[in-house]
Amino acid sequence: MAVGERTANPPLSRFLLPILGVVALGLCIGGVIILINPHGGQNLLAALYDALGNSSGATDLRNGHGDQLLAKVILAVIAVGVGVGGIWLLYLGVGGMVGMLRPAWRDRILPWVFVGPALVLLATFLVYPGIATVARSLFDGQGHFTLDNYAVMTSPEMVEILRNNVIWLIAATGGSVILGLVIAGLFDRIRREALAKTFIFLPLAISLIGASVIWGFMYAWEPAEQPQIGLLNAIIVAAGGQAIPFFTTSPLNIGAEIVIMVWLQTGFAMVVLSAAIKGVSTEIIEAARLDGANEPQLFFRVIVPSIRGSIVTVTTTIAIATLKIFDIIYVTTGGRFHDDVVANRMFHEMFQFFNDGRAAALASLLFVAVLPVMYLNLRNFRRQQVEA
Amino acid sequence: MVKRLRATSALAAVILVASACGSSTASPTAAPSSAAPSASAAASASAAASASAPASVAPSASPAAAVPTVPTGYTELDKALGSDQPYKGKQVDIQVQWTGGELANFQASLADFAKATGITIQVDSVPSSHETVLKSRIEGGSPPDIAQLAQPTPVLAYAAEGKVIDVATFMDPQKLSKEHPATIGLVTQGSHIWGIPYKADVKSVIWYPIKAFQAKGYQVPTTWDQLIALSDKIVADGSSPWCISAGGPGDATGWQITDWVEEIVLKTKGLQYYNDWISHKVTFEDPGIKDAFDKYVGKIFFTPNYVYGGPQAIINTDQKTTMDPMFNQDLQAPKCWMQKVPTWYGPDFFPDQRASGQLSKYVVGTDVGIMPFPTIDPSQNNVEGSADTMMVLTDRPEVRAVAAFLSTPQGLQRWIEAGSAISPNTTTPDAWYAGAYKLQVAASIVNKAAGIGFDASDLMPGAVGAGTFWTQAVDWVNNNGKNTDAVLKAIDASWPK
Repeated sequence: MAVGERTANPPLSRFLLPILGVVALGLCIGGVIILINPHGGQNLLAALYDALGNSSGATDLRNGHGDQLLAKVILAVIAVGVGVGGIWLLYLGVGGMVGMLRPAWRDRILPWVFVGPALVLLATFLVYPGIATVARSLFDGQGHFTLDNYAVMTSPEMVEILRNNVIWLIAATGGSVILGLVIAGLFDRIRREALAKTFIFLPLAISLIGASVIWGFMYAWEPAEQPQIGLLNAIIVAAGGQAIPFFTTSPLNIGAEIVIMVWLQTGFAMVVLSAAIKGVSTEIIEAARLDGANEPQLFFRVIVPSIRGSIVTVTTTIAIATLKIFDIIYVTTGGRFHDDVVANRMFHEMFQFFNDGRAAALASLLFVAVLPVMYLNLRNFRRQQVEA
Repeated sequence: MVKRLRATSALAAVILVASACGSSTASPTAAPSSAAPSASAAASASAAASASAPASVAPSASPAAAVPTVPTGYTELDKALGSDQPYKGKQVDIQVQWTGGELANFQASLADFAKATGITIQVDSVPSSHETVLKSRIEGGSPPDIAQLAQPTPVLAYAAEGKVIDVATFMDPQKLSKEHPATIGLVTQGSHIWGIPYKADVKSVIWYPIKAFQAKGYQVPTTWDQLIALSDKIVADGSSPWCISAGGPGDATGWQITDWVEEIVLKTKGLQYYNDWISHKVTFEDPGIKDAFDKYVGKIFFTPNYVYGGPQAIINTDQKTTMDPMFNQDLQAPKCWMQKVPTWYGPDFFPDQRASGQLSKYVVGTDVGIMPFPTIDPSQNNVEGSADTMMVLTDRPEVRAVAAFLSTPQGLQRWIEAGSAISPNTTTPDAWYAGAYKLQVAASIVNKAAGIGFDASDLMPGAVGAGTFWTQAVDWVNNNGKNTDAVLKAIDASWPK
């Protein structure tokens, strides 16, 4: 691309560009050094303050006080600079070098130059840890080969966890997709459709953690003598019932947590499916009407089959998110009340029980469980492409 | 595990040191509590205020710097404190889980040393995910230089992975052991010492409203029977005797129940049995443990009207708000009267300070008091304690100097003077504890104790001590104590082979 133009440049810039390149490279390396240092931002700013003669400000910074925010902002700017500038420099530099090669070689190498960084990142941060995790799951704490980490999956505790994941997979995925589909179908022909859809879609903007905290207040429980601060229990008590501790009553708590997920994911399902419904050609719908189909028939026999591809995509996407569910459990109950799931248990095994092998085994299990869903998704994706 | 605990009764001696201050508050030599460094150290500030008369006698005497005098007996520490400040400008990074008042006290404890040596001490406070972040940093190869851990078990786990610097390689192990007789055993394996005991707490205490007790004519119970009689009387008078939280919300739910069980086991079966339980020589299904659950903890938890809000409240009440009903009508008409929670509890948790962020108007020692957990078997008057450990993770001269400093009484001096900490170091001067009601009570408890047991769940393997012991105990409460056998069996089954 730009490589060709550059050769036509006057000699001055030809001389200048490599120097600028070296300077930029130096800046990048300097930036990386600062980023690697755990307290790089504050140390840099402290050094700056020292140079400016503000030694008390520098000491404050080094002791973890002072202008920490400014230090963090500087760090963020450096990170963005190194990230964007570094990649740009990489492509420019390597692209330039490849450009100097003979055309036959250049065509062969150039694609790899552009895919290369992505491949390296993928290998470093996905493939290598993946393989290392599976390998780790096959060894015990002393480094001896063992299958125990997988054998414990049959213990009652683990069976309960696996059971919970299956409940999640079915209820959360099914709930989100069905609700999303129904809402998409119903909202398709109302006035102010956009406004109505916005309300359903809005929760998607909230993180899982945030949603769990919000619903924590919805489900909050107080002793009988106290006013109920949780909305649901306030309603129950006002209606003459007894307050229910939602999060600590098994198996009710699993349902309570799934509701949070459904609340979040329905919007996503609705938006995708609604777009698909709009894409169903009016001729088909009119033809069905002429053939005497009533509204439910029209929806289930004509529209739903027409958007099958979108339904599969939505279902598999939510299913993958559900299989990996962690945040909601971690925030609401920590999985302490018969509501644990694989991802949360993996975290506990790793960071609280120091059973790295068992955590790795759970991670591998989760990975294997996600694979078929991913395959379904990809196959569907490919088929849609063929159809299109 | 048992071997590590053999010396525990000697903690008596450690905290005994503090007992002296009980009688010496009138002494003019008492350390000026104006040295209390942090306003947010509420416990202390208020406690100190209650006994401030002698302290304010000598406000003009500027407090000496909280650094040990050379020679300290530790090579790098002596060097660091030398007038040439050889480590000036070096940085040492300590990761802790303390926040708020505790963090302020810790930083105050380091300030004089940093000034004297020129070493910059960077404190990383990671309150909510300390263990997770620490593990990531250690396994990722960029550990903090020193890390605080509340439990000895992970210290030993990291040591087994070869991640921990053996402090015996640069600090005189004899001196270290002699000064920390009770706690050093927790992190000692053979000739290796994997950490430095930094701060101690007493768990065998019950918090109660002093004035309301007096108004109602309630006596502080000293035996289990009196405790039950008092509980019954409070029920008869129309309120609930107990505020209990399992320690939640969420992930933390359960640790308080384990503390209750541990307390009872120590007070009914004694130290040897307790330590055998930790090492699983005594199983959870043993009758002694079952009795602790059913006869004692169950009696408190499940007797109707004993616990404010009933057993459901135990697992659904936030640890932070457990005692709120006690403050009903300015502590005049408590809706619950007693909470068993360790000595680190204090005004940080009182409703008015939580709401406003200002210092609580309630004073520990006059409004809210601490009583020793009553004895059950007079011959088994043991006490439960816990200790924070400093784990050294990198080996540089300045890190050695800081580590050695943390092992000296001066490493905790400001925190002690703030009235909020007990040093596990037996050479800590009595005067530092002056005026701190909380510590006087803790000291008198330890003073009378036959032995000290360390938090059992902290010493059991993680999968039990932070895993099934918690979840099954919660399950037990959720079932109103009706499934004790199944619960104990499940804990035993989960013990790593």
